[in-house]
Amino acid sequence: MRKINGKRVVLPLVCVVLGFMIAYSYNLTKEGAGKDKSLDQEYELRQQLIEQEKQNRELQKELLQKQENVSQIEKDLAQEKQLFFNLAKDTEKYRMFLGKVKVKGPGLQVTLEDGTDMESEANVNNYLVHEQHVFKVVNELYISGAEAVAINGQRLNHDSYIICNGPVIAIDGHQHPAPFIISAIGDPDVLGASLDLPGGIKEQLVNENIIFTVEKQKNIIFDPIIGG
Amino acid sequence: MWLSVFGLLIGITLGFLVDFDIPHEYSNYLSIAVLAAFDTLFGGIRAHLQNLYDEVVFVTGFFFNIVLAAGLAFLGVHLGVDLYLAAIFVFGVRLFQNIALIRRILIEKWSVSRKKQKKNL
Repeated sequence: MRKINGKRVVLPLVCVVLGFMIAYSYNLTKEGAGKDKSLDQEYELRQQLIEQEKQNRELQKELLQKQENVSQIEKDLAQEKQLFFNLAKDTEKYRMFLGKVKVKGPGLQVTLEDGTDMESEANVNNYLVHEQHVFKVVNELYISGAEAVAINGQRLNHDSYIICNGPVIAIDGHQHPAPFIISAIGDPDVLGASLDLPGGIKEQLVNENIIFTVEKQKNIIFDPIIGG
Repeated sequence: MWLSVFGLLIGITLGFLVDFDIPHEYSNYLSIAVLAAFDTLFGGIRAHLQNLYDEVVFVTGFFFNIVLAAGLAFLGVHLGVDLYLAAIFVFGVRLFQNIALIRRILIEKWSVSRKKQKKNL
């Protein structure tokens, strides 16, 4: 009984497999046109490849052009950077001239004192330091390259004014008595040499009975002018 | 018998309905497997007619031959030897032999039955 059952199941199963294989194979062969298909595919792929390569070449050209552009822009940028750097430097310099920033550096210190060895009947005025003396020194210092100048610690800027006000001098409204200490930042050798010229400021002032002392300093610090 | 025919029909319809694609290089194996299946089938029919039929031998032969043929072809492709030609040759020859045997057995049976009919008449 069992054997018969098995026989009845197994043979149809074999037939199912056979039928499936035959039909599937037939289908596959019909669909195939196999070699032609693969050739077509190859041709298509080749075409695609050529297309792609063409595109690649164009893109590469574009890339080169863009790279050129970039390098051009970089050059411009570098120039601009240089420009900005110079501008920043200039700004710094102008700020320094305007007294907006703290400055420090080597410099020269000139002290003007009223003359002391005056004769009894002489005019006192001839022995005092007047504002024109201070002017002369300050101008000479600026002319010979001083970057910043201060009188008795008060820094001068582009619109400072100096007025003789009796025994004192008013600088920007602040009164300063003698002696006047004029400090300047700049090359101390140059500044000193320019003051020491024969017939120069030093000689003129000494001739006018003023005690003139020059002192080179390694480090002078000026604070920024507040409210300037 | 009818069940077998019915199974065959089911298989064929299934084969036509199924719609998955196998890579082109594998279709060779499939055709060889089909050939092996045919060979086993006709071998089975011949054995049946000769009263030598054993179901276990038939069923195992059917599947084993399919797998062996496909495997041989696969091996041949990977070794660079056209082993599937051997499979095609062997199965082809045996197919013809089996069909020829079946034909001769059938003719013999037919002539025997005709003689019997004549005797009866």
